[in-house]
Amino acid sequence: EYPAPPGKMAAPRGWRLAWQGHCRLLHTERSAAPPPPLYPPVVASHTAKSKSAKRRRLEYFYQQVHEAPSIAEKLRLYGRLQRLKYVVYPQTFSLNADRWYQSFTKTVFVPGLPPAGAQPAGPGAPDLSELRSLACDALLQEHFYQRKRERPFLYREQQHVPGPFLTQLVSSLSAALGSSNPLLATSCLDLKPQVNFYWERGETVVCRGYRTGRIDPVRFQIDDEPLIQIRVPKQLPEFVPLDYSVPGEVPVINHKPDKLPLFKRQYDNKIFIGSKVADPCSYGHTQFHLIPDKLKRERLLKANLADQIEVTYRANGIASLFAWTAAQAMYQGFWCEADVTRPFVSQAVISDGKYFAFFCYQLNTLALTVKADQNNPRKNICWGTESKPLYEAVEGNNVKGFNDEILLQLVQFLLNRPEQL
Amino acid sequence: GAECSRALRPPERQGARAPPPPAASRPGRLSCSGPRSPQRPGLTLGAAAGGRGTLRAGARDGAMASGKVLYPLYQLGNPQLRIFRTNFFMTLVRPGVPQPEDTVQFRISMQMTRVDVKNYLEKIYNVPVSVVRTRIQYGANNKRNHKNQKVKKPDYKVAYVQLGQGQTFQFPNLFPEKEEAPEPGSVEDIQKQFMENERQKQTADPRRGGVTDWFGL
Repeated sequence: EYPAPPGKMAAPRGWRLAWQGHCRLLHTERSAAPPPPLYPPVVASHTAKSKSAKRRRLEYFYQQVHEAPSIAEKLRLYGRLQRLKYVVYPQTFSLNADRWYQSFTKTVFVPGLPPAGAQPAGPGAPDLSELRSLACDALLQEHFYQRKRERPFLYREQQHVPGPFLTQLVSSLSAALGSSNPLLATSCLDLKPQVNFYWERGETVVCRGYRTGRIDPVRFQIDDEPLIQIRVPKQLPEFVPLDYSVPGEVPVINHKPDKLPLFKRQYDNKIFIGSKVADPCSYGHTQFHLIPDKLKRERLLKANLADQIEVTYRANGIASLFAWTAAQAMYQGFWCEADVTRPFVSQAVISDGKYFAFFCYQLNTLALTVKADQNNPRKNICWGTESKPLYEAVEGNNVKGFNDEILLQLVQFLLNRPEQL
Repeated sequence: GAECSRALRPPERQGARAPPPPAASRPGRLSCSGPRSPQRPGLTLGAAAGGRGTLRAGARDGAMASGKVLYPLYQLGNPQLRIFRTNFFMTLVRPGVPQPEDTVQFRISMQMTRVDVKNYLEKIYNVPVSVVRTRIQYGANNKRNHKNQKVKKPDYKVAYVQLGQGQTFQFPNLFPEKEEAPEPGSVEDIQKQFMENERQKQTADPRRGGVTDWFGL
């Protein structure tokens, strides 16, 4: 026979009775408050190579960021640790980059523009013919009237004519519409500002180096430089409610971002909207991007990549606007563990000088890390149009085939303002 | 091709390595000294690029061990290169790490470029190619043979080709597992049944719970 298992079976009878009696004594005495603990709480180690220690260190880090006294200090603590991260370029030659960028930023792309809210009739409706003449003036000035002495060298054609045309167009239109839109009158127009954002999404196993085998979040950084940017002191109204369920899915890609191709670098984790935290114009209105020479329409058509033309516009819109809106949200004190309580909204116009595409972005969630994304049904939404030409051709000193719809859409973008104003 | 180069070279003599072919009558060429072994590529040809055109020597191909394979480098003013039957080949390989659906992985000759790969696939096989990326894989030099000499694994170039027009490719399973059910009544079936019975007899009684049969009273 097998020996009897060790346990309470062999306890002597008297001892058992006394133990039961002792329990009964404890249960009958119900004091009002429990006595203060004699020993400090038993928590996991801080420095051990264990999951509980890692969790404890993460909790301590989150607590530090939550308790930071100012926004600048919060941003400094958030991006304090430098590690290898993927550098996401909004203007990229990679194929099908818009689907990858949607998965990195948890964005749903909706073709078309958002449902137009009723704009309050401002003081004096804008005169379209006046604005059209402004646009044609800017166009003819760059294409015909101004004698540009140097011929553009390799890959500098976009900076030569379309760049100055866009700058002139936007500055003159925003100045002309300042009377109709009081928000534009108090706005700030930046030329070639820096927009940076750093975030973590998903998890991976470190494959090389002294940290091999450890589970690490996948880190991304966007360093963008839009051509022109309009920043305003008041936030734009939301297009749809915060918890609106969008008819669309965020594409899920099960491959590593290296396959896009996307490359890693380690440097400063910068979060910047175009101005520092203390600036009063800390909300974004509209960005204007210029497609670079290497991604021009003619080059893509010559390389037999005609279907990638719209993809470049979309990828640029999604990445740039996500970086800008998310950086605005971080400037207000939100971050991945403290999700946004109101949606952040921005607009963008992406053009290569002739073709214009319009994008609207609503940031509903900043919680993209694995831990914060577990029960997060919210998704960010990006609306975008196809690229359409503003004009057919510029022959001599007149513009052929000027498209009024594009100008109207541009004007509506610039006139966008919150209901109170 | 290979036949042309063999015709120009003087016939090989037994027991002695063939002297190198006479230097071409182009000015500015260095004269090569001494017999050259087939493994050493004709580096002098490529290095003396003084004249009207340089030739890339690619003698590291395992298949072309006997001759130098020359790839005419295009320079402005030269006639456009037209290759009808290529000297260089590509091998479709199964990717070591999972690749996206539109990406195909090849091992190509070290002298090929991504433009060569694109033209090769488009012109010869009519495969629409969007983008090609290449890299060179270094073969390690750590293993040692029985004489304690270092043995180098050869380097090779890998090309990742992204297909166009929305096409996808999945490397096929070349050795699928075949479940052969032997027909009932045949010799194999009876043999298999007999072997299974024998195997069952060898296994211990499951009621003993894994305890060996020599352990007991």
